[in-house]
Order: sequence, then C-alpha cells, then structure tokens
Amino acid sequence: MNSGELNTSQVMRQVIYALGLGVGASFYFFGWGVLIQIVLGIVTALVSESVFLSFRGLPVKPTIADGSAILTAILLAISIPTMAPWWIIVVGVTFAIIFGKQIYGGLGNNPFNPAMLGYAFLLISYPLQMTTWGSDYVNIEQSINAIFNISSVDILTGATKLDEVKMQISLGTHIENLDIYSLSQSWINAGFLVGGLYLLIRKIIYWQIPTAFILGIFATAGLLFLIDDNIYLPPQLHLMLGASMLGAFFIATDPVSSSTTPKGRLIYGFLIGMLVVIIRVFGGYPDGVAFAVLLINIAVPLIDSYTKPKVFGK
Amino acid sequence: MYSDLYKGGVFISNPYPIDDVGIKKTTLPNKVILPLNERMTEKATPCVKVGDLVLTGQVIASNDDFNSVPIHATVSGQVTAIDDHLIPHKSGFKTQCITIQSDGKDEWVKDENSTKDYWKYPQSLLIEKIHYAGIVGMGGAGFPTHIKLGLSQNCSTIIVNGTECEPGIMCDDALMQNYPSQVIKGVEILLHICGAERAIIAIENDKPDAYNSLLINNNNDRISIAHVPTKYTSGSEKLLTKTILDKEIPSGDFAIDVGIVCLNVATVKAIFDIIIEGKPLVSRIVTVTGSGVSKPYNYEARLGSSFEDIVSLSSPNKLKHDVRMGGMMMGIDVPSTDVPISKTCNCIFINNRVAKDTARECIRCGSCNQACPVGLLPQQLYWYSKSEKTDKAVEYSLFDCIECACCSYVCPSNIPLVEYFSFAKALHRNTSEEKRKANIARERFEYREFRLERNKTERAQMMEAKKKAIKEKMAKEKSQKDKITKAMERVNTNKKNKINE
Repeated sequence: MNSGELNTSQVMRQVIYALGLGVGASFYFFGWGVLIQIVLGIVTALVSESVFLSFRGLPVKPTIADGSAILTAILLAISIPTMAPWWIIVVGVTFAIIFGKQIYGGLGNNPFNPAMLGYAFLLISYPLQMTTWGSDYVNIEQSINAIFNISSVDILTGATKLDEVKMQISLGTHIENLDIYSLSQSWINAGFLVGGLYLLIRKIIYWQIPTAFILGIFATAGLLFLIDDNIYLPPQLHLMLGASMLGAFFIATDPVSSSTTPKGRLIYGFLIGMLVVIIRVFGGYPDGVAFAVLLINIAVPLIDSYTKPKVFGK
Repeated sequence: MYSDLYKGGVFISNPYPIDDVGIKKTTLPNKVILPLNERMTEKATPCVKVGDLVLTGQVIASNDDFNSVPIHATVSGQVTAIDDHLIPHKSGFKTQCITIQSDGKDEWVKDENSTKDYWKYPQSLLIEKIHYAGIVGMGGAGFPTHIKLGLSQNCSTIIVNGTECEPGIMCDDALMQNYPSQVIKGVEILLHICGAERAIIAIENDKPDAYNSLLINNNNDRISIAHVPTKYTSGSEKLLTKTILDKEIPSGDFAIDVGIVCLNVATVKAIFDIIIEGKPLVSRIVTVTGSGVSKPYNYEARLGSSFEDIVSLSSPNKLKHDVRMGGMMMGIDVPSTDVPISKTCNCIFINNRVAKDTARECIRCGSCNQACPVGLLPQQLYWYSKSEKTDKAVEYSLFDCIECACCSYVCPSNIPLVEYFSFAKALHRNTSEEKRKANIARERFEYREFRLERNKTERAQMMEAKKKAIKEKMAKEKSQKDKITKAMERVNTNKKNKINE
C-alpha cells in the first residue's frame, strides 16, 4: 500500500535540501570550511554505518539508503566550528552513528538525537577545538590547510558571539556597552528559519515543536530580561544567536527522539527552548541546544504517556 | 451537507473510476459452491444429500444457533458434492461446501406466507422472515441482520449506509442508482420494524447520481437523504453516526446501544426482496476493479459463483495478478479467483503483481496518528505490538482500533501497521484466555487445599468434642455412683442405728 506521499528516505532528503539556505549563509560568511566538514562528515557516516551494519550481519544498502546517517552527519558538521581539525568531525560522526544510533538497534530505536549526542561528546572531550570559531571568510586552499593541518594558516579566530557576550557580562560589562549583534549569526539563523518554514509547508515537520521551542526561548529569555536588562540579553537576540533556528526546525524535530503526541510535542519543544536559555545564561557552555535536546529526550517517554490523545468514544 | 466531524481519515479518490456506474446482470453460473460457515456464524448442518434436486432459494443447510443464518441454494439444480473447498479467507482456509450443478431453469421456491402488506404483520414475524432469508450485513462485516433488528425496539434513528466502504468500490453506488425505489421501500419496512422516528440515507458527495435517484423516489417525509464528505472511514458505523448525528458511540459499544440502527443499502435492498418479493438472499452486487482489468464494472452475481465467473467479464490482462476480496484498505488477499462469492464480497480487486516495497523502521513521524480516525497512537501501538507487550498496547486502546488501515496507508516507512494490530489483538485474547484458565485452575487448587485443611481441622475438633463428651459422661456417671453409694451408706447406718435402738 502506498499513499503516494513521501517515504522515509524522501523525507530525509527533503530535510537535507531545507538545510541548504543556512549552510549557504555559513559559506558566505565563513567560507569553505562548512562544506569540507559536511563532506568529511558524510563520508565518515557512510563508512562507520556500513562497517557497523556488516558487524551486525545486516544488509548495508537499504539502511544507508534511508539517508538518516547522512542527515546526522550534516547536522553535526554544521554545528561544529568551520575550521575544526578534520578528526573532530570524524570522531564525532563515528560516535554519533555508533553510540547514538546503531547500538540501540538502528534508526527508529535511538532514544537520543544522534547528532546532538555526537556534539555533546565532542564538546566535553575537546572543548578547545570545539569553541574556537573562525571569524572571517576563508578560501578553499586555506580551509583545507587549516582543517587538515597541512601548514599553519593565519586565520582570525575567536569565541562565538554568545561566548563573548557571556564573558563580557561576567566581567561586569553592561549590555548597553556591548556589541551584541552578529550579522553572520543572524543571517545563518534566518537561513535555517526559511528552510524550516519550507519543511512546515511541505508537512514534513509538525508546527508544534518549532513553535513551542521558539516560545520557550522567548518566554524564558523575556522573563530574565524583564528581571534585569543589564545582564540578560533581550529575547529576540536569543532567537537569532547560536543554534536557535537550527535547533527549533531541524534538531528538536527529529521524530525518532522527540515526543510523538500532538500535545506532547508542545511540551517537549517548550521545555527544550526553556533549557536552551537556562544553559546559555547560567551554564558553563556557550550554547545549550545540544544539552537541552538530550535532556528532554530522556523525558520523552514520560511526556508521551501523559499526553495520549482522546480516543473516539472514550 | 454534513461537515467533517471527526478528525483523521484520509481522502482517496477512486483509483479506477468509470463513466457510467451501472450493473451488469450475469448469466446463471454452471455451478455454485456454498460454504457451510460464512463469517460470524456457526457451521450449518446440510439438510440435503448429494443427488438431491433443489430450487433457487431453498434452504439447504441450517442450524439451531440463533446467531447464524440458514444457507440457501442460489440456483436450481442438483447437489453434486458436499466436500471441502477453498473459500475467501485470510488464512487460505478450506471448509465444507455444498456444490450445486445448475439446471439452467432457475426455478424458485414459492413464498408461502407473503408479507407484501408488511404493515399488517408484527415486527417479530418480519424479523423471523429476515432471519430465514439469510440476510447479514452486506457492507463487509457480515453481522446477522435479524440480531441487530431484534435489539432495535428503542431505536430512534435508522442510518442507511450508502457511503461506499472504500475507494474503488462502486457496488452501493450502482445499487442506489438501479434500485432506488426498492431501497426507499426497504427503508419504510425498516421504519415499521424498528418503530424509529426517522431514517437517514447517507451518501458520499461524489455520488450525485445515486443521491438524485433516491431523492426523486423518496416521498416519505420520515426519510431524508444526506450528503457526507467523501472521506475514507466515513463508512464505519461509529464515524458515520458521528458525521450525521454528531453523536459519539462510547468505546466498546455499538450504534444499537445508543438507539441507532445502522444498515448498509445492500442489506436494505435484501430486506425489500424478502419482505415484498419473498426472495431470500441469493445474489449480490460485486465490483470488479484494479490495475489488472481493463473494464472495471459492477456485476449482479449469484452467491457461490466463482470470482473467475465475473472477473472474466471485466477483460483482465494476461499478467500475473494479486486477488483481493473487499477494498484496497481493509480487504483480504485470496490465493486465486477460484473461490466462491460470499454475502460480504462487495468488491474484487485484480491487481497486477508488483514487487512489494519493503517495510523500513518506524521513525515515529506521527503521520499515522494524524490519519487515525479514532484518535489512537499507531506508532506506540506498533512498538508494543511488535514487542508483544499486549497489556501495554491495550492500555493504548488497542481494542478501539477499527482496522481501517489509514495508518498503514500513510506510513512513510511502509509498515503494515494494521497487520501488527490484528495480530496483537489475537495474541492478547489468547493470553488473557490462557490467564483466565490458569486462574480458574489455581483457584480450584487453592480451594481444594483449603477444603482438605478445613476437613482436617473439623475432624480434629469433632474428635476433641467427642473425647470431652465421653469424659464428661464418665465423670457424671462416677458422681452418680458416688451419690448412690453414699445414699446406701446412709441407709445402712440408719438401719444399724434402728437395730441398735
């Protein structure tokens, strides 16, 4: 039986296409790094999944063809610094595929978002490499040199905007004296926002998670901003910084690890949005999307069992 | 027109539409094969022998069970065999069937007690006659109609289901276009039997011709004709009631429990045939469609004639086919076209055999939950059915699943969800039956232990009591003896004293 609608691998492909705009924005501002990371990530994902599947004695081709490993690789590749050394993405994707997905029995059985599990693993294990971001456009030659460590390249590096702001605030600087706007990050976020809207229109993702996610960020950040606008960023900035839009439309919406009931999706999204801000503001890490998603992934079975929809006639 | 009153369901247009939805009457089959147990009924005992001559409409098998209906000869001729034959069943069962070779004359039994003036007869008599006619729900479920009508005393509304069960099926549409006055008359008979205030005939809005022909023929102001949206699963009793009356039949109940009698149009036509014409149910309208035939059409065929008899009229191509009885959603695959047409066979799908797309892993996308018309979470039910945790599946309302297959239809991973659910239902029924039996056995054992123990203590108490009684008796006897000896002593001393004096 087939409804003529998209099948699972077509869904994955659509999600990959929708990432295009955000990736394009990243390319425009930071150069070739992002594309090299994506290629490295995809190759690693295909190799590690094939190897693991053959260890498990399962057919390789149909599973690879579902596109989920490729999507995981891309999501992780665009989350790490564009100039991170090559082994970062290789280690991260391998971990994500094997320990984030295959070890639970493959696609559909993983309780955690594999890409975010890989990200969290990298951030904890290699904090230096994971928080050093390039801050300028880098051409292809320089990118290859930097990523593969062929020769030392003079690239302007620094912390992300969120990191920088946090540091300044902790030093006692008032927000009004800080340059809190980041053109590149706003454009990248806008790119993911448009891609996400495309997925919504195609009905590939449901509106509940992104809406609640954004609402969660806005409400939590707004509350803090009302309490003290000297040390807390305005809520609209939280939305356009870091991985907010990527998280709202592409990461939290991973169907496998997210809540599956309509009401549950609202709760799930909102809690993640809330945690993102709390981790950003009070936590030790610059961005909170990965940890927030993983933490609320744990709560999914509980959320689902309390949000069963009304059954006809009951 | 009625609006969409339940969430979920899927919109599917007829995949093989035709221009004029008519009925072709088929020639008499050479032979018919009539199974002794149709769905939902107990096996009937034949009351004819091989070699007997029978008339069309003659009862050839029946049993005493009130829940089953008699089986009639559907052609006149000679009984040539009573043996096992393949029937259209999910599991490819063989069952005992009566084979009748037609004599080509089609001589009917006489209707001895005409009920043409049905309003003069009591309800119970008419229901008995419907029972005799072998009428069951012809929409697909095959529930005996006389049982439904027997429960209809407090019924307020009759819903006549003229929504085609599933996309692709056209037999009800054809029936309403060809027999509108019979359908209306049938509804009037039903109004009399059930004593209902009104009847509503529900027709999907993509069947204007059927709607109009019924409208023209309807002069009864207690009967109304309603357009409902062409959405799949609207034909289900519960969802149709919701659509038309905005009434939600409680989980586990049937329409009859809330005072509604819901019958398929073909069933209503069959009621007309027996009450007015005196003809038991011997034929039905069947749609033949699918990618394997070039001329999808409806045929009025005798029950028991083979699928092949009517499939051959629809110009099947020469490719390999998959044969399916019923619709594309809820139908069942049958091994070949060499199976007899049953009362519930509304459609035969002949599809070119194509390589099946394999199922992938569930990614919990939730499409199934959006499509489910009864608000279940098929993605969770799938999880628990697959791992055979049926208790958990029941907690997620497994038994409210109407097996409409909307979830399987929309699943992007192509998982045959409904097959998992019907398996889980059967598994749960089995295990709870086993559990029930084990519980009874355990209770019996425990009671036996208790009884033995009780007997023991009772006996011990009795012995104790007896011992005590004997002791008491002995003590009493002793004291009496003592008293006697004392008295004797007293007498003796008195005597002595007197002598001494």
